[in-house]
Amino acid sequence: MNEQGIRATAGWRRAARAVGVVAGVVQAHVLSAAPAKPATKLVNVADTRDMVPGLGRWLADVYNENLWWYGAIVVVTMVVMGVGLGLVVDRLVGLLGIDLGKLKHHE
Amino acid sequence: MDWFTIYLPIAGIHFNVLVLLLIGFTVGVCGGFFGIGGAWIVTPALNIFGFPMPYAIGTDLAHMGGKSIVSTMRHGKFGNVDLKLGVSMILGTTVGMELGATLVMALERAGLAESYIRTAYIIFLTAIGSYVLYDYIQHTRRQRVLVAQPGGAAPTESFAQRLQRVHIPPMIHCRASGVTCSLWLPVLVGLTTGIVAAVLGVGGGFIRMPALIYLVGCPTAVAVGTDLFEVMITGAYGAFTYGVKGRVELLAAIWMLFGAAAGAQLGTVAVKYVRGYSIRLLFAVTIFIACASVIFKQLGWQFVSSVTILTAGVAISSVILWWLVRGVRDERRARRSSSELGF
Repeated sequence: MNEQGIRATAGWRRAARAVGVVAGVVQAHVLSAAPAKPATKLVNVADTRDMVPGLGRWLADVYNENLWWYGAIVVVTMVVMGVGLGLVVDRLVGLLGIDLGKLKHHE
Repeated sequence: MDWFTIYLPIAGIHFNVLVLLLIGFTVGVCGGFFGIGGAWIVTPALNIFGFPMPYAIGTDLAHMGGKSIVSTMRHGKFGNVDLKLGVSMILGTTVGMELGATLVMALERAGLAESYIRTAYIIFLTAIGSYVLYDYIQHTRRQRVLVAQPGGAAPTESFAQRLQRVHIPPMIHCRASGVTCSLWLPVLVGLTTGIVAAVLGVGGGFIRMPALIYLVGCPTAVAVGTDLFEVMITGAYGAFTYGVKGRVELLAAIWMLFGAAAGAQLGTVAVKYVRGYSIRLLFAVTIFIACASVIFKQLGWQFVSSVTILTAGVAISSVILWWLVRGVRDERRARRSSSELGF
């Protein structure tokens, strides 16, 4: 082999060693990132970045800040809406002329 | 259609408001008519339209609480809610659900939860649907015999009537249902249905309603109203617990409740125009369709399962609304002809 060939071979060997070192570092990094135990649960966050101010934005902010408060708002909203809508639709159905008094049970 | 699309920040998706209104309305009609929560319609319906499953369950429970208030108020005015019976059953159901949850944990530790629960769900649905259908057929046969031979043999005592005669103090009289029995009867029925509901992972309305009819001896309409009272309590509890876990998309629940309120009122009023055994027949059909949907799901046909239950929900609510329209029309005709005759 002439001098040029020897230099080229040495260059390839240096490159191969460098690649091996880098591969070793990357492999070590990947292996250390693999979880030894299950990952802890991520916290759910409502994305409000593109939301305009309003009911939806306010609910999302409450959700992000305090889930206990959010849970209370869910129950109170459903109860208040249930009672309010119940009274309203009851009136509307009554306007249809249906007798809404006590039922006689017929099996 | 984009005008009706809103952003739901907690579930992190865009959703069509008209779909929420339609789902709410459909399950409201069925819920008000049968006395059930309807989670087995709502949850797959929301999921098939893109709702993540944990949020579908939590959102459904939240709206179920509000919807059941609407139905319970109307059934209460009809005289269909037996508070004493409902409270007695809630005591049993609460304990039953805790025991059921403990049983599920034990099955899970033994590695048997998946297979046992899956099989138990299908068996229960088939058994309930079959018994209700059998009862309807027997009733129809008895009616034909009575028409052919008026004043024939006296009807035999039902199983519920036999249970009512068991005298273990304290004895209670439930005015709305006309049942006098030991307090332990509704408590034990609630306990049993609570265990079954917790093991199957369901609210239990479709178990409690027939249990009230066949084990406690309630008239069908009172079983429907009283069961809705219980669904109201469990729905409110579910709304809070899932809300605190961050799994309720309140905006979606609000829109669904608008639809459900209208549907629940109509479904409840329809009870007025339908005889008890017709309610039972349609209930049996609904249970069989739910069973088919569960079987499809177990076979891995998730899409077929969801479409089956959605289509069935729309079809069944259409039948109920048709009964309502026909009943109102006949009532008006009767009123008009009696006013013409001068009564």
